[in-house]
Amino acid sequence: MIELLDVWKRFGRRLAVEAVSLHVPAGEIYGLLGHNGAGKSTAIGMMLGQVWPTRGAIRVCGHDVFRARRRALHPVGAIFETPAFYDYLSGWRNLEILSHYTAPTPARRLQEVLDWVGLAGREHSTVRTYSHGMRARLALAQALLPQPRLLILDEPGDGLDPEGIHEMRQTILRLHRELGLTILLSSHLLTEVEQLCTRIGVLRQGRKVFEGSLAAARQSQPWIRLRVDDFPSAEQDLRAAGLIAEARPDGRVALTPGTETDVIVRRLVDRGRRVFEVAREEQTLEDFYLALMRR
Amino acid sequence: MFFRQLHNELWKLFGKKRTYIGFFMFLLSQNVIALVFRFTQASRPMQRLLETSGHIAEPFISVLTVATIMLVPVAAFLLPLYVALIGGDLVAKEAEDGTLRMILSRPVSRLRLLLVKWVTGGLFAALLVASLGAFGLGFSRFYFPWGGLFVWMPAAEIFGVFDAGTGLLRYLGGHLMLVPEAVSILTLALMFSCFNVKPAAATVLALSCVFVSFILENIPYFREYQNWFFTHHLHLWQWMFAEKIPWWRIGQSLSLLAGFNATFLAVGIAAFHVRDIKS
Repeated sequence: MIELLDVWKRFGRRLAVEAVSLHVPAGEIYGLLGHNGAGKSTAIGMMLGQVWPTRGAIRVCGHDVFRARRRALHPVGAIFETPAFYDYLSGWRNLEILSHYTAPTPARRLQEVLDWVGLAGREHSTVRTYSHGMRARLALAQALLPQPRLLILDEPGDGLDPEGIHEMRQTILRLHRELGLTILLSSHLLTEVEQLCTRIGVLRQGRKVFEGSLAAARQSQPWIRLRVDDFPSAEQDLRAAGLIAEARPDGRVALTPGTETDVIVRRLVDRGRRVFEVAREEQTLEDFYLALMRR
Repeated sequence: MFFRQLHNELWKLFGKKRTYIGFFMFLLSQNVIALVFRFTQASRPMQRLLETSGHIAEPFISVLTVATIMLVPVAAFLLPLYVALIGGDLVAKEAEDGTLRMILSRPVSRLRLLLVKWVTGGLFAALLVASLGAFGLGFSRFYFPWGGLFVWMPAAEIFGVFDAGTGLLRYLGGHLMLVPEAVSILTLALMFSCFNVKPAAATVLALSCVFVSFILENIPYFREYQNWFFTHHLHLWQWMFAEKIPWWRIGQSLSLLAGFNATFLAVGIAAFHVRDIKS
């Protein structure tokens, strides 16, 4: 759905994005992570044709976003961290104005989307009277109006209270489940990303430092929890066989490259040891992210 | 689609209060001018001028004459200010508020967006000029009788005395020619608005250009270079009040203003096109 191929962006002397290649497959909820100033918003700006890349190519829905902007962005909806509206106009008028930059939108469709996001009944009030949560819903409504296949959400939970964040999370899951949308989500809220995303990309100082499935990220650390009758002797045995590289007194071992858990289990059983548990340790996304940032 | 987007731009423009500042100030200034003329001796010098040139003054101290007198300072100072204010807002205010980012996440081209904004600005400028003319006639009618038109613009060496019918046509023609002035200043402000600047900066830059051109134009030693100055061509509306309208001069200024507008627009489009839109 989205492809960034060796993309660079320089603002004056500052290199904001450096040789980033990303791939957001159709049907995924993709989390784009990174610290402040890592280049997430710049990358999203380039995906939407708002920021010109210094080098590289960006394809959205199969089309180059700068050469075929209309075709690339037609099936795209986007929400930004602080959604801006014409505060002096009604929610309905705002939706009309924004949707007409994509295609004429019948009133029936507007009403349908307002019902979907739960803003029906307040659509004719001016936006300046809306709460933060209502503005977030209006932002979602404007993104859904063109019946998108791809939704780009830049920090959608920013400034929302816990209730609002919960609601936003449920809405994203509903959009994915009911409408089958591909979603790119940029967020600081790692727990949100962990609960929502199937695939993640991590940027650090403008460079991509990880891209892969969330499961792969969780399992990317080397520790295996091993519970046997006599751990010190089992450790000695496995070391001698060249199957483990490291061991910790709490019963965790790191396998040597190329070794799988079935090999160590067979070895221990063949030696007459009792094996109670062998399990790959999963780390939280937060641990994984912080480890990446410390590298 | 273009007309739908134009319709929406007009909603955006006329939906906000600051758009009406210009209309309100015209209302106020014209009322004050009419009142001063009505209740002071301000019309005496005009009467003397008419009488020394062999006319009976009374029929010319009229709605048309006072409305035209109102027109001069308003066209010179207030009109440029308000069209520059709106022109400076057209892109820069949306960029500042963040709504430009919302628009440009949609499949609309920057060129089309800018052209829609320019047409909207042009319509605003025309409406502002029309209001100026209508308010002028309206307020003058409160205090003065209908009659002929007397115009004296010493700087342009214009001295005109017209019957009511011809005077009204000249008054309408003058306003028609005021539209290119308003549109040109608006386009200049729109050009600056396309750069990465605050709306107020775009307005100030546009007005600075107008004032600098005006100053240069009025330095006596530069008289023979007048045709090179932007503001010199903005005064074309004044020629509609000349005894014999110099159509060639109006045509020349109109074509030069068309060139200025095309240049401002081209620079604005180029600046807007290469610009990164960020929050």
